[in-house]
Amino acid sequence: MSGVVVGGWEYVWAAYGITGAAFAIYITSLIVRLRGARKS
Amino acid sequence: MNKGIWFIVVGVVLLLIGSYLGLFVAPAEQYMGEVQRIMYVHVPTAWNWMLAVIFTFVAAIAFLFNNDYKWDARVEAGLEVSALLATLLCVQGAVWAKPTWGVWWDWDPRLTSVAVLLFATLGIIALRQFVDDPRRRAIWSSVATIIASVDLPIVYYSVKWWNSLHQQQSTPETVSSQFHVPLRINAFAVLFLMIGFIMLRSEIARRQLANESADGWNTREAGELA
Amino acid sequence: MLIAALRKELLLQWRTRGQLMAVFVFGAAALLLFSFAVGPNAQMLRMFSGGFLWLGLLLSSTLTLSESFHSEMENRALEGLILLPSSSFALYYGKAIANWIQLTLLGIALVPVMVVLYDAGTTDLLTLLLIIVLGTAGLSAPGTLYGAMTAQLKAKQTLLPLLLFPLIVPALLASVKATSLVIHGDPMNQRTAWIVLLAAFDLIYWSLCGLLYGRVIED
Repeated sequence: MSGVVVGGWEYVWAAYGITGAAFAIYITSLIVRLRGARKS
Repeated sequence: MNKGIWFIVVGVVLLLIGSYLGLFVAPAEQYMGEVQRIMYVHVPTAWNWMLAVIFTFVAAIAFLFNNDYKWDARVEAGLEVSALLATLLCVQGAVWAKPTWGVWWDWDPRLTSVAVLLFATLGIIALRQFVDDPRRRAIWSSVATIIASVDLPIVYYSVKWWNSLHQQQSTPETVSSQFHVPLRINAFAVLFLMIGFIMLRSEIARRQLANESADGWNTREAGELA
Repeated sequence: MLIAALRKELLLQWRTRGQLMAVFVFGAAALLLFSFAVGPNAQMLRMFSGGFLWLGLLLSSTLTLSESFHSEMENRALEGLILLPSSSFALYYGKAIANWIQLTLLGIALVPVMVVLYDAGTTDLLTLLLIIVLGTAGLSAPGTLYGAMTAQLKAKQTLLPLLLFPLIVPALLASVKATSLVIHGDPMNQRTAWIVLLAAFDLIYWSLCGLLYGRVIED
């Protein structure tokens, strides 16, 4: 397939957005779980 | 709080810088257009996924050799982090493929191998949920991790040959040579994030393991953890 | 020691051969269902016949593999076996070989079903047999190891396929590809490459799983 891919910004935002959201959610879950685990 | 949090902070800052550069400063690629910008997060995620898989594999071998549960905690962390990165890779790959090839999944050998290993990783995580005895859980998940990790190159080559008749073009390995900077920054960004994730998640696993002992498991081994 | 373990496994299998019959019916039923999924399109069915055969065999293997540990679980015989001064190698290879033989028989039995349902025959039966032998070996090696793990767990029905299926993807791909080439013709002799891949997979996993089995069943 040759030629130019036109536009596509919505895909770019989707990719960056999902990546950012995933990291943000995971970081939050780590902090919550770390606080929850009793220190022994 | 764990030292890992600092890795995460650095990682987030680097990711913001690298993404800004990749989104707004880097020029659009000649043929791929704006969609190519996805590579500035996709490639760093891919590199670090590979590192996470290798880390988990090494941790599993380490546990089987010295039976030290801090390695089991690292296996637990590595499994979760590599599952996270693998899922991200598949989603990023699909979002890249749709405007490029017209389909969400084009059976690219690399991404397909990631998907297969993702299922294997999820299976091992599920296995851990169902084994109550911590010693068995540790041994079995280490064994399963080794078996799955050894399979990764085999899966890759078999999918590559399987697809070779139909594959028109593969995902470009290299990003447009015009701008490597966002790629490098994001690569370090995700690396720092990953290290931070593993440090925090291992600590969670370590504490949960120690608490299990407080609830009546082998106190000798528990003593080694505290 | 290995011979003794193997004899015991084969004897057990002989005694429960009715179950193998039931698994065969299950496998044949699966092949039938695949036809319904695709529709009465003879051409398409024939095209995918290799894939259907191996999917049917894979699904059937989850039944035979978990069943093969039933006797150990019944009377806690597994712990008794570990107490014996025998090596875990003998235990593993005895069971893995027995499972392999069982799956090969199943595979051979499903071939006529495939031929009839999908009009997918071949005169090159020897190569087909080789592919079945190598492919089932690929299922049996990790399947026996995971079978030992999951037999002791509550969720064994789900966990065994969950663990096994991603792992055996290369064996599945190679077996299906090779089988399809045998059925549809192979002008460029590609099947040798797939058979070699299958053999390599078998070699790696028969060694690796044998090495690790001891840790899996230790107490």
